[in-house]
Amino acid sequence: MNKDIPGSDSIVVGRKLERGFDTACDVVIIGSGAGGAVAAALLSEAGHRVIVLEEGPYVRPDEYQNYKPSDSVRRLFREAGLLTAFGTSGTPMISVTVGRAVGGSSLLTGGVCFRIPSEVHHKWVHELGLDELSEEALQPAYEEVERRMRVREVPVWMRSRSTQKFVDGAEKMGIAMHPIRRNTGVDCEGNARCNFTCPAGAKRSVDVSYLPSATAHGARIVSDALVTGVVVENGRAAGVEGHLLANDSGGKSHPFRVRAPFVISACGTLHTPLLLMRAGLGTRSGEIGNHITLHPASRVVARFDEPLNGWDGALQSVYSDDFAAEGIKLVGVYSAPNVIAAGMPGIGPALRRRVRSMPYCGVFGTMVHDEGGGSVRPGLGREPVLWYSMAPRDLVRLRRGITILAEMALAAGAREVFTSVIGAPPITSVAEARKLEHASIDARRIECMAFHPLGSARVSNDPRRGVVDQSGETFELPGLFVMDGSILPTSIGVNSQVPIMSMSARLAWRLAERLTRDKASHARARKIRRVLAAASEI
Amino acid sequence: MDDRRTTATAAQGDLPRGLPPRAERVARAAIEAMLADEDAAGRLILPPTATCDRAVDWLTHAAGVASGDLRRGLRVLAFFLQMLPLVVIGVPRRMTSLSLADRIRYLEALEAHRFGLFAMLAMAFKVPMCIAAFEEGDELASTGFDRPDTVTRRSLLLAQTSAMAAEERAEEQEVEAASRRSGAPANGGAAA
Repeated sequence: MNKDIPGSDSIVVGRKLERGFDTACDVVIIGSGAGGAVAAALLSEAGHRVIVLEEGPYVRPDEYQNYKPSDSVRRLFREAGLLTAFGTSGTPMISVTVGRAVGGSSLLTGGVCFRIPSEVHHKWVHELGLDELSEEALQPAYEEVERRMRVREVPVWMRSRSTQKFVDGAEKMGIAMHPIRRNTGVDCEGNARCNFTCPAGAKRSVDVSYLPSATAHGARIVSDALVTGVVVENGRAAGVEGHLLANDSGGKSHPFRVRAPFVISACGTLHTPLLLMRAGLGTRSGEIGNHITLHPASRVVARFDEPLNGWDGALQSVYSDDFAAEGIKLVGVYSAPNVIAAGMPGIGPALRRRVRSMPYCGVFGTMVHDEGGGSVRPGLGREPVLWYSMAPRDLVRLRRGITILAEMALAAGAREVFTSVIGAPPITSVAEARKLEHASIDARRIECMAFHPLGSARVSNDPRRGVVDQSGETFELPGLFVMDGSILPTSIGVNSQVPIMSMSARLAWRLAERLTRDKASHARARKIRRVLAAASEI
Repeated sequence: MDDRRTTATAAQGDLPRGLPPRAERVARAAIEAMLADEDAAGRLILPPTATCDRAVDWLTHAAGVASGDLRRGLRVLAFFLQMLPLVVIGVPRRMTSLSLADRIRYLEALEAHRFGLFAMLAMAFKVPMCIAAFEEGDELASTGFDRPDTVTRRSLLLAQTSAMAAEERAEEQEVEAASRRSGAPANGGAAA
């Protein structure tokens, strides 16, 4: 094993390396997504030596911007986009979207940016006693993140006609709609396929908004680097070890080790618990890998009389929180045309007929602020197994959300509405929508997606109830921090990118200060030792 | 506004195949039925071979980059998809041996089945393969999508680009004014 990371590139493509490495730094970060990239940038900007290890590949923005959706799915999504949460009979089978590349899931978001709602902050402070996670405490972090990501309100003229139908229907039903804020600056062209990377390069994912600053300040990023364990010395984290991946199918190549007094796990809600378990954590609280929330989401497709060409416009531009008290959020959505076609009901000629009607179709979405019920455990191979038992109340919310969407579409003039209940006939009246909502159906027939797995290594101020403290450090292993979506203590009910990045920013600022203090005290100690040595010689 | 390029898709030749030939045959039989159409006389017609190839290749390459657990799972699903015609439509044949009409009938029944796991079995193959199938050529055109491919960017109207430029200028001025007011960018949360 070579001592240093070979080459001089700031982003090193691990699969191309001909040998491993054994090197040292101040902070080693596992994962380069929303949490890891922010930590890497802020710590390196503060003058600390940072190495980021990313399991996924490095794909340059000018390359992935040219990916077709199926290329993005296969090359940038974890498990080639086929990752699924397994549920009980009362739980829909939920397709989970998670990124696996330098930049992580931020490459695959719709660009939607929400702060954590005030009432969630209030609950964290007043019910969970997490006084350092108040809205005021995170305010500077929110501002910093939103500034770097160029978060802007989507202008009205960027709405697609699909979304406009959604707004029309809402208006007729007295439902208030609000513009969404997104991290596309003023460069969004309305290509409506943000989840599969932006062909215009407008989306400020962390690989373009944070990692360049990290590397400009000396951080090094190694892609295709799978961390398999945390090195523990004298009862504290002292680095990580793992191996480089040789190819897309995950073949091993060379081993590596990075020694560092501070280790940050930022590999996401599904993988951070596995790393912590491998480091021997979890004996004290039994909380690792539990309480995962997903924000299960669903959509309806509605056919209108006039052409909408919904692919012209921002992917998401409006939302409604009128039903927030019921745990339901409504959002205008769209996607790439082939992805929508793939989700149309029917087989053979029936499918073909419906696909041909797509220019006349609008797509509306709903998301549930869920209670949790997910857990992650090691699988047979390298990937974890995600179990999710949907709370009965959340299933009711999901079905209610679908009904509201169908009613909105009908109010806007839709001829028929295809719900996400697989195999159900199209809805043509409000009565049919309500009948379907209350019909006895197998929950697994509801097609469901999740984009925000959160909360598998929760923050707490009590080691019996959580995994990390309010500075992000694990209770059981000093020096090991977590800075990703897994630390969120409850479901937040909004898109998680800005919340994760802001939490990470706050934790990274604190860690940077601590590191600076530690370095200063070590320097003082060295100086004293030198003076004492000199004095003893005299 | 456009010297914008249109394609440059990633080649899939460098990706490993993840499904055994038997499972690929099942996937092919399924996608043939899923994408079958009818002619003016109402007769069923098979989809183009190239479209089916694209869909099956995509699935097997996707399995190739996924974990071993997922590959095994897909093989099991392919086995069930192959063996369930007897249970679902009462025909004692494997799916790959069914006529096109029977395959359509079988998959329709599977998709609409009240037992959710059966419906999901159909979707597990339909969604990923149809994403690839409807991504190019005549299949993409059949969606009504008015660009040559899914990478080509939307052509914005001049009025829209002017609005964008005006917004951008206003934004820059706002940022400049803010930085003049506050000095260097803050990391105000460092304390506390």
